[in-house]
Amino acid sequence: MKTVRCYLANDTSSRAAGAERLADAWSGRPEIQLIRTSSRGAFFLEPMVERDTPSGRKAWFNVAPDDLPRIVAGVGGTPVAEIPFLQQQTRFTFANFGITEPLALDEYQTRGGLKGLAAARSLPPEAIVEELRISRLRGRGGAAFPVWKKWQVAQQTESEQKYVVANADEGDAGTYCDRMIMEGDPFRLIEGMLICARAIGATRGYIYCRYEYPAAARAMRFAIQKAREADLLDCDDYPFDLEVAVGAGSYVCGEETALLESLEGRRGVVLAKPPYPAESGLYGNPTIVSNVLTFATIPNILVRGGAWHASLGTEGSRGTMALQLGGRVKQPGLVEIPFGLTLRDVLDRFGGGMAPGSRFKAVQVGGPLGSLFPDSQLDIPICYDTFAEAGAILGHGGIVVYDDQTNMVELARHFMAFTADESCGKCTPCRIGSVRGREILDRIQAGEGTAESLNLLRDLGETMKATSLCALGGRAPYPVLTAIEHFPDEFRVRAQG
Amino acid sequence: MTTWLGLRLAETLETCRSVPPENPNILKTLLAIQSTLGHVPANVIPQIAQVLGVTDAQVAGVLSYYSDLRTQSPGRHLIRVCTGESCTANHGGLVLRAIQDYVRDVVGDRAQAERFTVERMSCAGNCAVSPTVMIDGDFCGRVIPSDVPSLLERYR
Repeated sequence: MKTVRCYLANDTSSRAAGAERLADAWSGRPEIQLIRTSSRGAFFLEPMVERDTPSGRKAWFNVAPDDLPRIVAGVGGTPVAEIPFLQQQTRFTFANFGITEPLALDEYQTRGGLKGLAAARSLPPEAIVEELRISRLRGRGGAAFPVWKKWQVAQQTESEQKYVVANADEGDAGTYCDRMIMEGDPFRLIEGMLICARAIGATRGYIYCRYEYPAAARAMRFAIQKAREADLLDCDDYPFDLEVAVGAGSYVCGEETALLESLEGRRGVVLAKPPYPAESGLYGNPTIVSNVLTFATIPNILVRGGAWHASLGTEGSRGTMALQLGGRVKQPGLVEIPFGLTLRDVLDRFGGGMAPGSRFKAVQVGGPLGSLFPDSQLDIPICYDTFAEAGAILGHGGIVVYDDQTNMVELARHFMAFTADESCGKCTPCRIGSVRGREILDRIQAGEGTAESLNLLRDLGETMKATSLCALGGRAPYPVLTAIEHFPDEFRVRAQG
Repeated sequence: MTTWLGLRLAETLETCRSVPPENPNILKTLLAIQSTLGHVPANVIPQIAQVLGVTDAQVAGVLSYYSDLRTQSPGRHLIRVCTGESCTANHGGLVLRAIQDYVRDVVGDRAQAERFTVERMSCAGNCAVSPTVMIDGDFCGRVIPSDVPSLLERYR
């Protein structure tokens, strides 16, 4: 019997959707050989099984174990190149997803991997930073700070020891692209970090991975080991020491100073800036802390040039963005497109509208600190500046859609309670403000609020915005206040007195 | 603590001892202990502090700060229900309630403490196949309340 090669994703979400059940059911079946790849990110189609055909890969969607004969016989199936969700994307950072085996270094290289590192090694460090300046890449973690500026500061600060730290504490609810990169294309992250190490002269690196991502931490450790065996973890003549550090469930550790405190083994408490980590970070040494997606974007910039990157996107937001669709949308998944498409277009074209039986109420962009948008505000282009002008954030690209069954008072309370739980306690506005905010929302929810409660909440929100030390306290009021702004009746009904 | 646990703890602590110029790392040590013992009993704080050369208060401070560090031993099966926004939007709250009901009604109160620990977790990054339930480190996606009995049956 001829054995058919099939591809099945090994991503956490693919497994959670049933990929593991298929692998178990089909293990030992002589008619197929299963190759476990990364996921294409079209999670609404998972578990998805693919096989090679003369005209490229063909895919079967939402596969159940007894679909095997159909797949082996080649009955049905859709050419991957014709899946609209994928066809309309512009994939650079996620180009390998669904195609390669995550831990196969040779496949990574065959598909152009390590060329960015080779390019960086042929350039003087200043020229690498210059390439990034031309690229106009901004940090993808949420703060959107120009990457080259950070690197230049770290490069120019004299020090015996410098560090490169990948922020893999992807705590924003609704985001999962860092997890996908670590599980699905780990060498891309390592390559980006090595380019940074070369540019600033760092000899040690850490990947600070959250506790909730055990598979990502495992994949990274394995990939680091492979990279070490292949002598990749060498910069010029000195070794680059790279390791994975795991967090322990603190959202605020995604803030860079808190992350570094945690990496040193202490309570992950936010520190006042300056000094910035690029001058004085881990153990007082110059440290670049960047998001996983940022590092993963960098190899392509070195291969194709900064000007190529700057040619994509909009005036203030160059390149592509990884948007992550979730909530009550029909087609949740990962979308990599150049900046500039409107939120409505993204939800229609990629999200495919609402999940069956539900009606749109609001969408939240940028995680639990992101603003809510009602239908009337969906025509906003997705880029950093338009969002900043609207008082919103793009954050790490998480997009969560809520349907008409969502109770806005309950949701607002959920947001405030989240901040109260996660506040590091360093600054008063966040530590105490979030608890008072939650209490006010508790009263409104219990029908004991008054008109004064809403004024108090607004006042409290403005104070937190203006005086908190970091974005947790500073942004926490936004989802609450935008909920009140766009759905005032729901709050008024419960705050009558 | 039993002698056996004491030995495992001592072994783990040895591997966490820092060699100067490396600094002692409290969080890393606590995570290592938790991975060996399943939790970090509060009464071993002085022993940890002594090995790392830090104060008891510093160890207690880190232990109480991080929500994923536990001072109580969890049940034989740890069930974590995601409360992130995508799971919330997809009625993860109903799944949590169904799991709590199942554990209380079907498994029974006394067995519950030993067998199952049910808790909420922050976003699991599994948003595209929400709502998410994590059982002993395995992720289950698109869980609806009526799935709960068959999901938990094999862990009884």
